[in-house]
Amino acid sequence: MIVTITINGKKESLQIEPGDMLVDTLRNAGHVEVKKGCDTGNCGVCTVLLDGKPIRSCSFLAVRAEGHEITTIQGVAEEARRFADFLNREGADQCGFCAPGFALTVIAMKRELKNPTEEEIRHYLAGNLCRCTGYESQHRAIRNYLEADHA
Amino acid sequence: MNHAAHHRKSMESATSDGSAAPASTKAAAMAAGSGVVPESVPNVTGATQYIDDIPLPAGCLQAAVRLSDSARGRILALHTEAALALDPSVRIITAKDIPGTNQIGTNKADEPLLPEEEWEYWGQPLVLVVAATRSLARRAASLITIASEELPAVLDPREAAAKGDLIFPPRTIAYGNVEDAFARCDYVVEGRVDSGGQEHVYLETQGAIAEVIDGRRVRVISSTQGPTGVQRAVATVLGLPMNMVEVEARRLGGAFGGKEDQAANWASLAALAAWITGRPVELYLNRKEDMRATGKRHPYSSDFRIGADRNGMILAFEATYYQNSGCTCDLSPAILGRTVLHATGAYKVPNVRVTGLMCRTNLPSFTAFRGFGAPQAFFVIESAIDALAQRMGVDPVEIKRRNLYREGDETYYGMKLERVRASEAVERLLDKAHYLQARQRVNDFNATHRLEKKGLAMIPVAFGISFTKLMMNQGGALVHVYSDGSVLVSTGAIEMGQQVARKVALVAARTLGVPIEKVHVQRTTTLTVANTVPTAASTGSDLNGQAARIACTEIRSRLLAKAAEMLDASPEELDIANGMIYRRGQPTSLRWESLIEAAHQARIDLSAHGFFATPFLQYDMKAERGKPFAYHVYGAALVEATIDLLRHTYRLDRVTIVHDIGDSIDVSVDRGQVEGALAQGLGWALLEDLRFDGKGKPLSDTLSTYKVPDNEFMPGEIDIEFLPPVENPTTPYNSKAVGEPPLQYGIAGYFAVLDAVRAARGTGIEYYNLPLIPEKVSQLLAGKEG
Ligand code: FES
Ligand code: FES
Repeated sequence: MIVTITINGKKESLQIEPGDMLVDTLRNAGHVEVKKGCDTGNCGVCTVLLDGKPIRSCSFLAVRAEGHEITTIQGVAEEARRFADFLNREGADQCGFCAPGFALTVIAMKRELKNPTEEEIRHYLAGNLCRCTGYESQHRAIRNYLEADHA
Repeated sequence: MNHAAHHRKSMESATSDGSAAPASTKAAAMAAGSGVVPESVPNVTGATQYIDDIPLPAGCLQAAVRLSDSARGRILALHTEAALALDPSVRIITAKDIPGTNQIGTNKADEPLLPEEEWEYWGQPLVLVVAATRSLARRAASLITIASEELPAVLDPREAAAKGDLIFPPRTIAYGNVEDAFARCDYVVEGRVDSGGQEHVYLETQGAIAEVIDGRRVRVISSTQGPTGVQRAVATVLGLPMNMVEVEARRLGGAFGGKEDQAANWASLAALAAWITGRPVELYLNRKEDMRATGKRHPYSSDFRIGADRNGMILAFEATYYQNSGCTCDLSPAILGRTVLHATGAYKVPNVRVTGLMCRTNLPSFTAFRGFGAPQAFFVIESAIDALAQRMGVDPVEIKRRNLYREGDETYYGMKLERVRASEAVERLLDKAHYLQARQRVNDFNATHRLEKKGLAMIPVAFGISFTKLMMNQGGALVHVYSDGSVLVSTGAIEMGQQVARKVALVAARTLGVPIEKVHVQRTTTLTVANTVPTAASTGSDLNGQAARIACTEIRSRLLAKAAEMLDASPEELDIANGMIYRRGQPTSLRWESLIEAAHQARIDLSAHGFFATPFLQYDMKAERGKPFAYHVYGAALVEATIDLLRHTYRLDRVTIVHDIGDSIDVSVDRGQVEGALAQGLGWALLEDLRFDGKGKPLSDTLSTYKVPDNEFMPGEIDIEFLPPVENPTTPYNSKAVGEPPLQYGIAGYFAVLDAVRAARGTGIEYYNLPLIPEKVSQLLAGKEG
């Protein structure tokens, strides 16, 4: 069957099987910026935005995306580049495998929550596993990134 | 960009004639490299290509493996009809199809790539399947039925040892006279310590892409820490000389030791399939396959005996380590080596006898994992001291302080320690964390709170740096300076998040005297640097940084000679720094780009190969004496935890760390490494519960059944301080290795929770069995230590 999804602002018609997960559909269509880490909804590496809200594309049937807008990290590339600099300065860019999903979640959080508290930040990002950084440096980077906007 | 480069070149040849450069040339030269994308951008925007992101060559097939579903058995017959009927592209490959030798064991020939008859663990790849797509290959693999005979399996290392099923004979290090010393002790305590395995959970699972070139050579892209090991394995399996096999490793999505030896399996399978089908093949494991099929940190079960005088001075220590090696040798001997060489942790003990046994079991072959056998040893000595302190009725911190290694001490394996910083780290930590007040605060809290209790624990670390296998302490680098002045460095160092590429780039830039932007560190291939050792043992930047430094020094001296000629000076008067040539400290008109152009015109070689072998290492395996480590990394951590007596959960309140990174090449990178290692150490000690059922079936084989630290698990406060720089002659610019030593800090998390449990129970508990998951805390609170 064919689904039509708007991916990063561009309408794409994609051939899928009924049981296909969105992450595979996106990756097969060349959106390999969407990584895949667990298949079970636990790691957050496959995060994309569905109509602006973060979802786990490994646990989301591709058919359900029909007619919706999907944003991958490439859809917010400019903001991602800006955030990358903050990660880099804190030693928070390590293997990088979690980075696209993590950065997209941070960007979504920034749009959704005005002045998030420390606890809200942790809570918002608790589903984004990182095996390298131990999270501390990521948090420093997020704080600096959010503060830079206020300055 | 091309145009700009062209333009720049013609202008610079003008300067190399000695004429002053017009301002516009300088601007053009400054702009060189300004189009370079900052290094973290590709990661964050998802542009970095990990194995499964690389565009596949035309006609590429996908491979899948059929894993065993019992711990041990014999294959009687394979029924592949249904699988083959699924799709015409399906092809089935077994051990019989291997053209070379069916053997990939590195330390012992006990590891066939595919089993000929018997399998030895639950999750072992038995049959390789290729098909046009990954889902077809997986479905075909699941349609294969295997007629088999069940064989008895052993899962417990002590049981294996009792049966004499050891991979190599036991290894013992003896020092002083343990029996005499125990007889003189006022306190002697014995106990048992268990530590669980740990799954790496590199977020990128294992995989490789292989293709046959011109029908006679093989090229493999592998997610590996050890391209040379992969090259050797592929060559063996295909019956080719190594010069017909090319292996490339790009940035890995994490590895932590899991891709040191065990990436070779997947790369060899992909290469085998490519060789047989003549088509490119990708093999990429999903999470569940990876968690079932690949090795993890070794579980250990150990016995100890420790003795001390009435002042708490440790006089004797004895331990037997039953290493659960899993079903094959893999890296187990080297890992056991690191265990027996870290038996006394950061403490001087005058009489020692430790024995390690590599016990073969029907579990996946346990393998390298950050710390490499040392964390297990640290947990045993820390447990022993904890038990001793219980019996003596004193604070373990006091015993620890008294027994730390001091300057000039000899270890029990005969290494004289220099520049010892154990006490410096511990005293600074206790001071910084106001230990006595903290202890008082915890006691007061416990006296006034009935539903929550707090605990506190400290661990000192002395971690030996060097591969415990002597020959592995070598590194190579190839450096090219291109005619536009940009620099390309290739080394054996694999980038997997530890930012070794950045460190090597900083070393190269500093040695050549150019800004860092001029340097790019290239992915590792066996074409550029041969016979590399895996990037492991925290030695990546030590060995490869030194090799790069040596190559850069060579090029630099050629350039200084040329500059001397151009400036009519002697090379000794000259210096290159930040892209400028200085004469007796004063900048000259000569710039890096002009010098390179002139050197190129003068037919001076702008490339060099550097090779480094760590000096002064020696070890006599028979006598078990020598200097196995170039140096030690020191540090200490204090952890505070609170348990909830109603829910039997706990939280980590704060961690304070004082750590030794020498004269760091990049402090922010090192801080990131300390934090990441701490998280993995805390995960191992408290959270990550690797389980198999009584038949050897893996129970924790997804990320929903195996928990790793998330940001809410981590302590609310982490305070890290670095000790001041210190001389460290065998590394680039007095830096120190950083990857593994801080992992041991997680062990203090275990003892902090245990301390809180004791406060709740009001009695001494000697219970040493990690991970200390909430379920065990519950049992302990109920008074069940079993
Ligand atoms: S791959 Fe989707 S949450 Fe892990
Ligand atoms: S940087 Fe490696 S998983 Fe986050």
